Amino acid sequence: MAIFEQGDVKIDVDEDGFMEEPDQWNEKVAVALASTEGVDELSEDHWKLINYLREYYAKFGIAPMIRKLCKETGFPLKKVYEMFPSGPAKGACKVAGLAKPTGCV
Amino acid sequence: MAKERSHKAQIVIDRLGKKLNRQIVGSLVACVHCGNCTDACHYVLANPGDPTYAPAYKADKIRSIFKRHYDWTGRIFPWWVHAKSLHTDEDLEELKDIVFGKCTNCRRCTINCPMGVDLATFNRMARGLLVSVGVMPEGVAVVSKDQWEIGNQMGVLKEDYVDTLEWLTEEMQMEYPKSPGIPIDTVGADVVYSINPREVKYDPRTISDAAMIFNEAGENWTMPAEDWDMTNFGLFSGDDDLGGGVARRLYEKVVELKGKKLVISECGHGYRSTRCEGPNWAQHDVSFPMESSVITMINYIKEGKIKVDKSKNTEKMTFHDSCNNARSCGLTEEPRELLNLVCENFQEMYPNRTENYCCTGGGGAMSMSEYTPQRLISAKVKADQLKATGASVVVTSCHNCVDGLADLIKHYKLDMKVTQLVNLVANALVIDKPIEVPTEEVSIPAAVTPVVAEAACLQGYKILVADDEPDFVTFVSTVLEDNGAEIIKAYDGNQALELARKEKPDLMTLDITMPGKSGIEVFEILRSDDELADIPVCIMTGKPELRKLIYDRAVKPPEGYVDKPIDEESIILNIRRILELAKSKGK
Repeated sequence: MAIFEQGDVKIDVDEDGFMEEPDQWNEKVAVALASTEGVDELSEDHWKLINYLREYYAKFGIAPMIRKLCKETGFPLKKVYEMFPSGPAKGACKVAGLAKPTGCV
Repeated sequence: MAKERSHKAQIVIDRLGKKLNRQIVGSLVACVHCGNCTDACHYVLANPGDPTYAPAYKADKIRSIFKRHYDWTGRIFPWWVHAKSLHTDEDLEELKDIVFGKCTNCRRCTINCPMGVDLATFNRMARGLLVSVGVMPEGVAVVSKDQWEIGNQMGVLKEDYVDTLEWLTEEMQMEYPKSPGIPIDTVGADVVYSINPREVKYDPRTISDAAMIFNEAGENWTMPAEDWDMTNFGLFSGDDDLGGGVARRLYEKVVELKGKKLVISECGHGYRSTRCEGPNWAQHDVSFPMESSVITMINYIKEGKIKVDKSKNTEKMTFHDSCNNARSCGLTEEPRELLNLVCENFQEMYPNRTENYCCTGGGGAMSMSEYTPQRLISAKVKADQLKATGASVVVTSCHNCVDGLADLIKHYKLDMKVTQLVNLVANALVIDKPIEVPTEEVSIPAAVTPVVAEAACLQGYKILVADDEPDFVTFVSTVLEDNGAEIIKAYDGNQALELARKEKPDLMTLDITMPGKSGIEVFEILRSDDELADIPVCIMTGKPELRKLIYDRAVKPPEGYVDKPIDEESIILNIRRILELAKSKGK
């Protein structure tokens, strides 16, 4: 367990920088985490994607398949990678406060 | 007086004896502590002041147990040959941190050992012994569970998998209306293509790229709707049963589809597990050829089946060898040959081929967050090596390396991208004719069962619910009954056993902590009774840490487990999955 600190954001994260306590998530946290994933500003589209990930995670306890994410948000795959250069698993999931995806990613 | 030993430590020692074969004993006794391996290990190179990373030091931790219990020198003069036993669960945890946290099983020390000591082989064995008593990083446990129960390491359900492939087909057909897309479950195909779940779950661009290449080559190919995972956590966890189970599923699927050849997408450990180790683990003769997609792609180019234009890939590129591909499977020249065919500016990195350094995320390390900080420190070796090439793109033939490299590139702020050969080949493809395949030949995937429970999906099944909390029994029973199952209720261990014998249910849910006989005892009795051993068991417990006790038995592990608190959806999802798997095994 580690602590991630930026400005007045202070949260518990795992060794890969994913949140340990989902309750600590808020929009400020998302902005701070985004900056570590090469995203300097969160646009309306970013928020749409983040909110979808959070809703899905709250319901099912896992990250959605990329297919579901694209279908439900209406973003093509290319756009997802443009928004989060480190990809949906490491980038978008981290910013949305999800736990680290399992498996070799 | 002899020190007391914990139950788990005793099991590890006993099982070590059963794991010993000539190869392992040879490696355990041959070390002369010459120190050649020290300079070969990336952990040592990045931590020069820390001797605990030296391969010989790590190996001695395992070697000392062998000496104490299985080598005559250690039994007679333990102090002389540094023989040392295991006593407590803490000893096991300490061993875990070495075999999982301080070695990626990359085998670079192995090929640099003048005595032929293969540390990775007995390091993997030690991992397997620990896993057999439930001592492992949580990430490894989660992934192994998914691979056992759902059939792939990321828990991708059939519906989602097929839906994703159909979506990729649609996207391809938007660009190339006549593209056949991705044929699913075609019988008698010349190529059955197997992938890593990471591709379908998070980054399906590699699937689309491969599909483009197969279709452009006019290949008669297919992807199976089930049992398509060619990765294998058995290699990482040292669990040969898991390794064999996972590999067998894929082999049997190819036979079922009457496929002529199995092509394995670019994944180092998957290629090694499926092509090299799997037949041994599974005790299974494989009747069809298996090849890396790298070789398939080279052959397409050489045979003129696809045309490529290397001027489409102009950036300066270097190639990283996956440990499993290069050191364990001899796949060193083909990727370079292919890379030179599709890119203009290739810059070798040094050292390379079998001497290349690990991506530092190998051996399952990417799934073990607890060791990430030390992994990233050791990655400095790789980072320096990449930087020295001056390339802007690092190409590799392994998904695990993609993630390992991407992680260290970010950590060390290198200005580099990671890509795979399939992406480069697809980008270089010259498509000069529309792909002509009559639409009626496009295979239509079989109907897929939705995951969400529909009414009466458990119709015809008899389920025994055993738990000492009446409220819980009522809740689970109601949910299952609403879905058509016939329910039998038991409130303690003895009653559960009695009813299991009398009623022969199709499935049993079992609480671990119950009065009378605990769930663990009940489980062991069930599994040791020939008549009851095949009843699938789903553990439902509020103490997830206790589930490890289940793995501590010499009997077949449960078919599933669910942590309390539990909701309706996950009850149905888990029960249906177990029943469907049992049904498919029984047929």
